[in-house]
This record gives sequence, structure tokens and C-alpha cells, in this order.
Amino acid sequence: MNSYRARARQLSRFVLLPLLAGLAAPAALAVPSFARQTGMACEACHTVWPELTHFGRVFKANGYVLDNLKQVRGVTAQKEEILSLSNLPPLSIMVQASFTQYATAQPDVTGRTQNGTVAFPQQVGLFYAGKIAPHVGAFLQLTYGYDSGSIGIDNTDIRFADLKVLPGEQTLTYGLSLNNNPTVQDIWNTTPAFGFPYATSKIGSGFGAASKIDGAFAQSVAGLTAYAFWNESLYGELGMYRSAKQGTAGPLSSTTTGGVLAGTAPYWRLAYEHNWGRNTIEGGLYGATFKEFPDFGAGFGQELTGPSDRYQDVAEDVQYQYVGDQHLFSVLGTRIHEKQTLNASINAPATATVPIPANLENDLTTVRAYGTYYYRRKIGATAGFFRTTGSSDAGLYAANSTPKPDTSGWIAEINYVPWLNTKFSVQYTAYSKYNGASDNYDGSGRKAGDNNTLYILAWLSY
Amino acid sequence: MRQLVLAVCSLLCALGVGATRADDVDAFTKEHAARIAVGTCGICHGPAGVSKQPKYPLLAGQNANYLAAQLKAFRSQTRGDADAIGYMWGMSATLEDGTIDALSQYYAGQAAGTGRAGDSALVARGREIYQKGIEDVGVPSCATCHGPDAHGLADFPRLAGQHAQYVLKQLGSFQNNMRNVAVMHGVAQGLKVDEMRAVAAYLEAQP
Ligand code: HEC
Ligand code: HEC
Repeated sequence: MNSYRARARQLSRFVLLPLLAGLAAPAALAVPSFARQTGMACEACHTVWPELTHFGRVFKANGYVLDNLKQVRGVTAQKEEILSLSNLPPLSIMVQASFTQYATAQPDVTGRTQNGTVAFPQQVGLFYAGKIAPHVGAFLQLTYGYDSGSIGIDNTDIRFADLKVLPGEQTLTYGLSLNNNPTVQDIWNTTPAFGFPYATSKIGSGFGAASKIDGAFAQSVAGLTAYAFWNESLYGELGMYRSAKQGTAGPLSSTTTGGVLAGTAPYWRLAYEHNWGRNTIEGGLYGATFKEFPDFGAGFGQELTGPSDRYQDVAEDVQYQYVGDQHLFSVLGTRIHEKQTLNASINAPATATVPIPANLENDLTTVRAYGTYYYRRKIGATAGFFRTTGSSDAGLYAANSTPKPDTSGWIAEINYVPWLNTKFSVQYTAYSKYNGASDNYDGSGRKAGDNNTLYILAWLSY
Repeated sequence: MRQLVLAVCSLLCALGVGATRADDVDAFTKEHAARIAVGTCGICHGPAGVSKQPKYPLLAGQNANYLAAQLKAFRSQTRGDADAIGYMWGMSATLEDGTIDALSQYYAGQAAGTGRAGDSALVARGREIYQKGIEDVGVPSCATCHGPDAHGLADFPRLAGQHAQYVLKQLGSFQNNMRNVAVMHGVAQGLKVDEMRAVAAYLEAQP
């Protein structure tokens, strides 16, 4: 084995994995400030947070503005309203504390890693979530993460929305979203940003290779999208994303860490939802095409022009929900297909600190599906599976003993929700394949099953 | 029996079941209310009070005084079953009397829904109960108070076309007093769940 391979392996284990795991852990959408603003209990918008009900989706599409609070008003002499501001800002706090235990401790280069990791707090989030002005609302999250030890901007979605009543009592809700994570603005929980698992361990093994729309650009891009929701059933959205890195001043240069988008990346979404009685069914498509200048590592003097890597992501999603007074049941699933054309990476200098692909073109497919049941919104369980497969590439997956990205397994979770804003979960993730293989996936004898993870989480929002 | 019910009924009317009046409102309040009705209430109840989801009652064509009384009951937190608490207590908390009157008139002035046909055997059983009551368990005829066509009588609410799921839940809430109204508690006391289901299906099917 050459030294590059050895280094790439080390890199993948100690840099990429935690990075991927971190990316795969979506932040929370479930904020008591919405309840305070509307005067409605969480159950109007959520089955159990963060999963949205039909009304929750409509509330989000309408820009988070529905309220019942006393307003500070400003009116001109012509009776034109120029200010309508809530007496109190819609703030909330979220705290997560967790415990993670691997089936077999992660190997360490120098000594024994301690198994059984406590994260207290795993995250503390501060939210501004609610109305800013008539037709304008925001979901804005600042998060302290114990792993980074710092506070950073998390999911953000600022909206303008309005509603028109069409002939025949049909409604048209339309609006704009300015956000920092493709799919964070989406109103179904099938898409990546607010999809299951809603919380995962920061040090768990994550889900291996992922497509770009599956969280790669969370909080490092800015997008403006326009959407329309006809009759609360047909939803269409189009938008553009551009790199907007945190911690660097623009213009972005080759010294910027992490890839930089070439130009703007188009995003699109189409979905149809049908409601009858207590049931809802949805089917949809979403996707984006990202052109990226990859980051080869420090000191390469890369130019942010010329060839870029192209990732074309197309995904389907389906959702069914039954929201009863006693029993709540939902099934959610998505399949994301990515076609990669790696014009830039394939020509990377041999000393680049990222894996250099052997193929110009690769593909990657992720399927996730899960079902959730709750009894009286108090006790519930979720079970689901995940599977990522893709083309074999001896360069890109050089760190894997089998040069494939394949990762698959099962995830099960039991939840206890004594109050609608407090949740206690026990989650178990079992891998049948990890980074290409079931056995000896890393070339030093580790089995996929060694990564099986027990994760215990307390999640409070207030 | 019928006489008794009518006597109770007129007594209640006199005592103030119909005491809340949706008073006339000025043009400014009217416009303000229409905006709230479409932009806020409409998200659940439909812009003209014809909701599509059965959890949210139809308000179109409903008696204005009844609507005003309900909104005040939500606001003072006296109408309290689970959905009333979870949804309407918050929504009504800051409504002023004038806005309540204007909203009530807005909905009363909208064309009522047209009803949706249901299982015919169930509807037939429901019609029987609605028109005649169930004598041996003391359930009176609903028509006495809600009108032969269920369009409401005086300030007794309109029930025709209402979502069956909502009606079924209200009857349950009257029975267990989570929605605490003496008259309807008395009426619903003797009803079994399948009888409630039948009368709800009948009501949903009425234009
Ligand atoms: C988030 C959804 C939601 C919104 C918004 C909402 N409602 Fe309701 N409303 C409900 C539900 C649910 C019920 C049924 C409560 C129950 O089952 O007791 C209800 C019941 C009512 C009733 C009682 C109807 C009857 O037949 O007794 C009235 C009147 C009413 N709402 C008016 C309004 C008005 C006026 C607004 C706007 C200020 C509004 N609602 C906004 C969900 C909503
Ligand atoms: C003695 C008169 C009377 C009789 C008989 C009566 N009701 Fe009522 N009903 C009322 C009154 C009064 C209300 C309004 C309660 C309130 O103010 O909250 C009401 C309300 C209701 C409501 C709630 C409407 C809404 O929009 O929330 C339903 C449903 C209902 N009645 C069904 C029935 C059925 C079914 C029967 C026959 C089995 C019946 N009622 C018989 C007086 C009566």
C-alpha cells in the first residue's frame, strides 16, 4: 500500500467521518415560540415534533406569521398600517444532552478510545421563530455545539408569503424563502434538512458517503427560492443557491476551506398532497445541480475558474400520515440519485489532501424509509432503514477496503414524550454495510457491525 | 315528551342561551374582520368558512349569534374540549367584541356547504334519530331545536352539512362534559357511539 492510501485512510477515519456524521445530524424544527405566538399547542402543527402535520405545513408556507399576540402598531394618517410588531419576540431555547455507546470502540492510532461518550449539552439552540411583520416571518437558529465548542449560525429560513383566494374558494399561497440549506425551506419531513433521524449522535458513524443535496452545503450557501402552494395540495418551488461561507469574508478565494460553488446552483421541487379525513398522502420530486470547485487542501493556489465538479441530484419522496386522537401513524421515504461528473477533482494534484477519483463519472443513490407510531402523542416508536450504494471508484473510495461507498442498515428509536415539549429517546443504529463492506471495511479488520450505536437523548424545547 | 322539550327549550332561550347577539358593525371593523377571516381563520376554516378538513368545523351559513357566543366561550376558556383548548383558545384570546361580531356576521353571510352523501343505511338510521329521537332512553328529537332541515332554529346552531367527524366529536364532548353545555349534555347522555355516528353521517349529508 502506498503512502497516499495510508494517509487517505487515516484522513477518512479521523477527519471525514466525524465531518460526515456532523453533517448528517439535522437540527431541530420544533419551537415553542410558534406555540406562544399562535396560542395553539404543538399538536396543531406537529404529530410529535419535529414532524409536521398538514396544518404545520400550511403554517410554514404562510411564512410563520399566524399569530394572536397583542401588537405594537404604527398607522399613518391615511390609516395605512406601517408597523405591526409582536409585544414579545418569538424566542425559544432548545437543549439536547446525550450518551453514545459503540458496539466496539473506535480504534485510535495512539491509544484506546474511551467508549461511552456523554455530550452535555450536545447542543443548545437559540431560536427566533415567528412573525417579523405582516407577511414576513423567520426561523433563525443559533446553535452551540459541544463538538465545536462554539456558537454558530444554524438553519435559517426567512420568508415572505401571501395568500390569494381564487374563484371557487381555491387558495393560492405563494412566497419567497431566503435560506441557508437546500431543503430547509421544504414543508415535508421527507427531504434531508428536516428528515429522520431528527437527532443523531455527533460521534456516531453517520451514514457514509452522501449526495450533495443531503446536507453537504448546510449553512455554507445562501439561496433564494420562490414557491406556490395551490389549494394546499400542489406545491412548486424554484430557486438558486450560491456559496456563502461562515468565518470568511468575501470574495471567496482558493484559501477558503471546503468547496466553493461555481456560479449559482438551481434547486427545484414539485409535490402533490391529498388530504381526506385524518389521512394525508404526498408524493413529490426535488433536486438540484451543484457545480463545485473542490478544496484540494491548503497551499495549492487553486483558481476558482475553469473545470468544476458537477453533481446532479434528483430525488423522489413519499409520505403518508394518519393523525388520530389516540393513534398517530406515519410512513416517510425518499430516494436520492446523484450523477457526478468530476472534471475538477480528477485533475487534482497528486499531493491533494482529498481522495482523487479514478472515474470521471460516478453515481450515488441513497434510499431512506421509516415508519413512526405514537400513542396519544406520548409514547412512540420509529423504525427505518437506510441504504447508500454507488459506483466503484478506486480513487474516491481508496480508504475503503472495497472501493465502494455502500453503507446500509437499520435504525430504531423509542420515544417518551411526557410533555409536548420534552422528549426522551433511545435510538439504536445497526449497520449491515459500512463504507463498502460488511467485514474489514477499513482494511484493518473492523466490521460494519462494530459501528452499531446506542444513543440516548434528552431533548427539551422551551 | 315533545312538549317538555319545547318548554325546556323556550325556557333556555329566555334564560339566555341566545343572549349573545352579534351586534351590527362599522365598515372599518367589517373590513378588518374579513381580512382576519381570510388570512388567519381561513387557514383552517377555509377563506369563506367552508373547511376541507373534518377537524375544522364549517362556519359558512352558521347563525351569527351562535358563532359570537362560541368565540366568547373560547376566549373566556369555558368551551373546553381538547381541540377547543389546543386550537381555539389561542386563536380567540385577543379578539375584541367588535371583531367577534364582525367575524360572526362574515361567516353567517357566506353560502353554506352543500353536504356530502354518506353510507345510505347509516344516513337512514341517523335521519330516524334526528327527526324522532330515541324515546325509551330519553333522547329527544334534534329537529325540535335544530330545525326540521337542520338549518338551525332561532339561535340554535345549524348542523346541516357539518363534517361528521366534528359532529361525532362534539357529541362525545357534550356527553363527557368537556364541552359543558347542560342542554346538549342532557340530549347526548343516552346516545351510543354508533347512534352518534349515524346522526353525524345524516347531518353531513344534508344540504
Ligand atoms: C389552526 C386551526 C384553526 C384556526 C387558525 C382557527 N380555528 Fe376555529 N376551530 C378550529 C378547531 C379545531 C375547532 C373545533 C374545536 C372543537 O372541536 O371544539 C374550531 C372551532 C371554531 C368555532 C366553533 C364552531 C362551532 O360550530 O361551534 C368557531 C366559531 C371558530 N372556530 C372560529 C374561528 C375564527 C373566527 C378564527 C380566526 C380568528 C379561527 N376559528 C381560527 C381550528 C382553527
Ligand atoms: C333542547 C334543545 C336541543 C336539542 C333537542 C338538541 N340540541 Fe343540539 N344544541 C342545542 C344547543 C343550545 C346547542 C349549542 C350549545 C352551545 O351553546 O355550545 C347545541 C349544539 C349542538 C351541536 C354542536 C354544534 C357545533 O357547531 O358545534 C351538535 C353537534 C348538536 N347540538 C347535535 C344535536 C343532536 C344530534 C341532537 C339530537 C340527538 C340535538 N343536538 C338536540 C340544543 C339542542
